[in-house]
Amino acid sequence: MIRVNGKARPWQEGMTVSDLLKTVKNAHLYAVVRINGDTVSRPHFAETRIPDEAEIYLIPMIAGG
Amino acid sequence: MTDFSFKELAVWGYDRPTVEKGYAGQTLHVDLERLQTTAQPVTGQMKEIFIGGKGFDLWLLWQAVSETTRWSDPENAICISSGPLGGTPAYPGSGKSIVTTLSPLTGAVIDSNVGGYFGPYLKFSGFDALEIRGKFNGQVVVFIDGIECQVKILEAQGLPDNAYALTQALTDHFGQGSPRGISVVSTGPGAAHTRLGCLNFSWYDPKRKRARYKQAGRGGIGTVFADKGLRAIVARWDSVSLDTNRPADKQALKKVAKLHAREIVELDPKQNEMARIGTTHLVPIMNDFDLLPTHNFRFGQDPRAGLIGKDVYRQLFDPGFDGCWMGCTVACSHGVKDFVPVTGPYAGQRVFVDGPEYETIAGCGSNLGIFDPYAILEMNFYCDAYGLDTISVGTGIAFVMECFELGLINSSHTGGLELGFGNRTNALELIHQMARGEGFGSIVGQGVRRMKKIFAERFGADEALMEDIGMEAKGLEFSEYMTKESLAQQGGYGLALKGPQHDEAWLIFLDMVHNFMPTFEQKAEALHWFPMFRTWFSLCGLCKLPWNDIVPEDNNESQDPAKVMKHVEWYAEYFSAVTGRKAGPDDLVRMSEAVYNFQRIFNLRMGYGTREHDRLPYRAVGPVTELEYESRSERYDKQLTEKYGVDISGKHTAEKIALLRKFREEQYEKLKDAVYQRRGWTADGVPTLETVKRLGIDFPEVVALLEARGVAG
Ligand code: SF4
Repeated sequence: MIRVNGKARPWQEGMTVSDLLKTVKNAHLYAVVRINGDTVSRPHFAETRIPDEAEIYLIPMIAGG
Repeated sequence: MTDFSFKELAVWGYDRPTVEKGYAGQTLHVDLERLQTTAQPVTGQMKEIFIGGKGFDLWLLWQAVSETTRWSDPENAICISSGPLGGTPAYPGSGKSIVTTLSPLTGAVIDSNVGGYFGPYLKFSGFDALEIRGKFNGQVVVFIDGIECQVKILEAQGLPDNAYALTQALTDHFGQGSPRGISVVSTGPGAAHTRLGCLNFSWYDPKRKRARYKQAGRGGIGTVFADKGLRAIVARWDSVSLDTNRPADKQALKKVAKLHAREIVELDPKQNEMARIGTTHLVPIMNDFDLLPTHNFRFGQDPRAGLIGKDVYRQLFDPGFDGCWMGCTVACSHGVKDFVPVTGPYAGQRVFVDGPEYETIAGCGSNLGIFDPYAILEMNFYCDAYGLDTISVGTGIAFVMECFELGLINSSHTGGLELGFGNRTNALELIHQMARGEGFGSIVGQGVRRMKKIFAERFGADEALMEDIGMEAKGLEFSEYMTKESLAQQGGYGLALKGPQHDEAWLIFLDMVHNFMPTFEQKAEALHWFPMFRTWFSLCGLCKLPWNDIVPEDNNESQDPAKVMKHVEWYAEYFSAVTGRKAGPDDLVRMSEAVYNFQRIFNLRMGYGTREHDRLPYRAVGPVTELEYESRSERYDKQLTEKYGVDISGKHTAEKIALLRKFREEQYEKLKDAVYQRRGWTADGVPTLETVKRLGIDFPEVVALLEARGVAG
């Protein structure tokens, strides 16, 4: 089980950030996520595996300066 | 402790008006030559058209100067204001001051939006804006005492040189046991010896028992300040509550302020954690997307970026509440305590460093090839203490380092300093030299535009190459984002009124990462709406960060998520509640449009403000050197073949660079056309008579100016 924006979600062995985002509405708007405090950006979504029990926040939009 | 003394040159007593619906109703004018202080009423027309903040500043500055005024002339004024919403304690980000003057870097108007308590204290003392003109032959402090209702012009002797020690001394002196009631505007010795001077605006941190600082950094405002003989402007005020602005509808204000403040408290920990790490979260993100400038904007990525990112500063920042205005729940103005510099006059002493923010990390770090968080802290500390803008200093030294590496200059020109990328000791030495006005540092302190000329004239450096790699536009150094792959952000920088600072439009992510605006028309629309809405914060005395750095959880489901419309609506409610002037989201944009166009026309009046002044160095648009092209050859080759239909087989890198350059420069010119049209400007980038009439800024002198330029209705 993982938590995404505070809500419980099932976890699967080998699951990546890209896999998770396939199940999320408007996923194209997320360019950055935080997994257990570490920031992961889109160029690394496909290669980043999500550990079980992970606490994940989808960072909505990087607004910058 | 330095012994200092004051001699009263002039004392002006006044009756303090009650602030009504966010306005004090008068402006304060201090003439340092005549030693005179006066107040002038704020007219209904000023409120209606210019709103406040930057709008009031521009209006006062417009009347103070003529088309021949130079930055160092006595009539050039420094104008500082709050805004009708400024000084509201419950609404996040409501304590900004806005400063304008004619810039020693650009010759045109520069404006800066800065934290600290000065603007609100000025307003509550009875003045919506302050205009300081004239010059004093000596050192002068202006003290605005809102409690005793006096403005004093004081000749000073023996004040500490650097801005940190100066502010602390003046806070103790004027605070009379209540330091929280003092805000000091000051600069340091670097401002007097360069064109890159910044102003430090203070706020008192009761927990840490010390004055803290935010900077009005861009464009050399501190240099104008020092040139006037000003050492400091001090405002003194009493306590602040929701009633101090006497809002038109206190209940409505309370309601909307609570909504926004609470949302931030709830969502910031889940989003960018700004209350804990400020804007340092941007460092790794920009790096991942190839947007973090490294080595004078050659590249956007470096494997060492993690060494200067949020994880490091999370450990270094002193935890605690860091709001640069009372009750700002974003509280992003962090600092590092007990830092011990290894160079300069503070070597070996424990100091508190206010910062660094993202721009300083990128400007004084990655862009110089320096990936040492302590070196960045030391540059941050000394720039603030000396009154230097960390962005212009960073971008300026980056240019020097590239020139050094390319052999355009060498150590015989730099006084023996080796200035290759990554040389942190000599980068710091340049900053110390800037403060002393000595050595090669005094050339660097002239800014990139003047360095290009000096390097060509004195050292025979290649002018065309320096034009391409010298990261300035309109005379102002670029702030710290890579724009090569975002045409919209090239516009965000190149079309910005004051020069390439990102506060007008930050569209890189929307354009490059999210691809929200694939067509020219969409880019032009974004380059209309975003600069206009962002301008509105500076009219009202607000910080833009609470608008879109923390967003509602359902924002992505809204029709236009980039605009964060729920917050725009809250801002409209906020404006209506304080001023009693009913406004919706479109009205906010319209308010800005009038001021924005007025500023463009102001630039025109000063000899700028046309298409030719919106040009960019090619480094901002595409790869200048073979090294840059080849580092991302897959990307560039693909664009040439797929986007522009070029057969690149057998072509050398130099040929491909030239082809890409032609296409990209054409795109930028097309973008200008689209944006000018959307803004209601001529093809030369000048607002039409129809536009100025629509916006109510068709004052006789504006119309005469446009007609003299051949602009028809
Ligand atoms: S968001 Fe940060 S910079 Fe803006 S007012 Fe709040 S503390 Fe200051």
